[in-house]
Amino acid sequence: MPTVQTTSIPGDLPRTFASRKELERLLVEEFPSAEGSLSPIRGGRQAAEAKLSQVNPARYAKSRNHLKGAVTGLSPYIRHGVLTLAEVRDAVFQRIRNRNDGSKLINELGWRDFWQRMWLDLGEGIHDDQEEPKTGHAASSYAKELPADVRDGTTGLACMDGFRDELVSTGWLHNHARMWMAAWLVHWRRVHWKAGADWFLEHLIDGDPASNHLSWQWVASTFSHKPYFFNRDNLVRYGGTRHCDDCSSVHRCPFDGSYEQLEGQLFAPMPAIRSTGNGRNRRDGRPGNSSVNRGRSGASAALARPKR
Amino acid sequence: MKRPILWIHEEALGPANPALRAWPEAPALFVFDTRWIQNSRISRKRLGFLYETALELPLTLRKGDVVAEVLAFARRHQADGVVTSTGVDPRLQQIAEAIETELPLQELDPDPFVELSRPPRLGRFSRYWREAEPVVWESYSPAG
Repeated sequence: MPTVQTTSIPGDLPRTFASRKELERLLVEEFPSAEGSLSPIRGGRQAAEAKLSQVNPARYAKSRNHLKGAVTGLSPYIRHGVLTLAEVRDAVFQRIRNRNDGSKLINELGWRDFWQRMWLDLGEGIHDDQEEPKTGHAASSYAKELPADVRDGTTGLACMDGFRDELVSTGWLHNHARMWMAAWLVHWRRVHWKAGADWFLEHLIDGDPASNHLSWQWVASTFSHKPYFFNRDNLVRYGGTRHCDDCSSVHRCPFDGSYEQLEGQLFAPMPAIRSTGNGRNRRDGRPGNSSVNRGRSGASAALARPKR
Repeated sequence: MKRPILWIHEEALGPANPALRAWPEAPALFVFDTRWIQNSRISRKRLGFLYETALELPLTLRKGDVVAEVLAFARRHQADGVVTSTGVDPRLQQIAEAIETELPLQELDPDPFVELSRPPRLGRFSRYWREAEPVVWESYSPAG
């Protein structure tokens, strides 16, 4: 790309830095209200192309739900148009041997496109509940503010505090961790999804109200037919035991239990949603987490029951 | 438009930006939107990411009120208009509208992920994907 030379005038921000430290110093000076440090995730097309070259669509399809799975890490670059969805789509097409190898990853790109179309459609309305929650609790019963222990990472739940630390220090979280955190905050802590979604946006490098807020609404059930929740078995299956091993709450883990038990504990009874036979009661899969989707048949269950 | 400047915003900070492609020689600007950064409590992580990304593009970098900065940049280069990429964020749309009250503005669409002959049904992903998925895959051929 040709470089356009324009003479610098006062107020132009510098374009050369001896180091990342120097860039960070400038940001402190120019944007004193912004908090934290630089992310280990580097910006720029070069970094994006390096990440893109590592993408393995078939491995992604097999392992993406695991915290250590072969996820792409492309979201910050796609969010800011460093890479377009069209470029990533074409890169996937070039790399796969058959359609099956690429279908999961292309599907995820489709989710990004879907959220963007929803945002165009909704505009500022994306900040509102799209539907009533299906948790048996009134929307007004959810706390409007993010609890301080959540913001500070001092809840005593090693998993959630760990995810919070990762979010705050890197600006990125595996999608599954985002969903667990969202579900915990909304359904266990009874905090309104918007408080959590806004907090995520403060930190997520890839965040925008399209993917972020609508995913939170999907978890909360204000943009889905049923709330998403999980249990400890699910967390361990996809995240390992590294959090539980050192958790001070290991013997009073709020995620311990069967889905039936947790469902009874978290949600108030709702009138059963009857299957009309036209698919109305089927739930859409959620990006990155098809294996943790709430049950798909759902003929009469009013609440979510993740597939195990 | 004969002498435009380019307003590059945070949804299209890559070489595929249609304004950069259409006008590779035009002076181009990226503005850190201080109001957005403060109101949304955007962390230094994102600012650093945006900054590093912008440094790999031929951009003048400024901070402040985006509309005022874009208009000042246009005056600085005696521009007869502004070219940008179409934004999704309502905030970017409002900025574009405000610029357009002062100067001719051309918005170019980024390459689409999938081009559908009619607007898809939204509401739930499955409805959209039922229509979009077959079209996305039209450009794939296993032979490469």
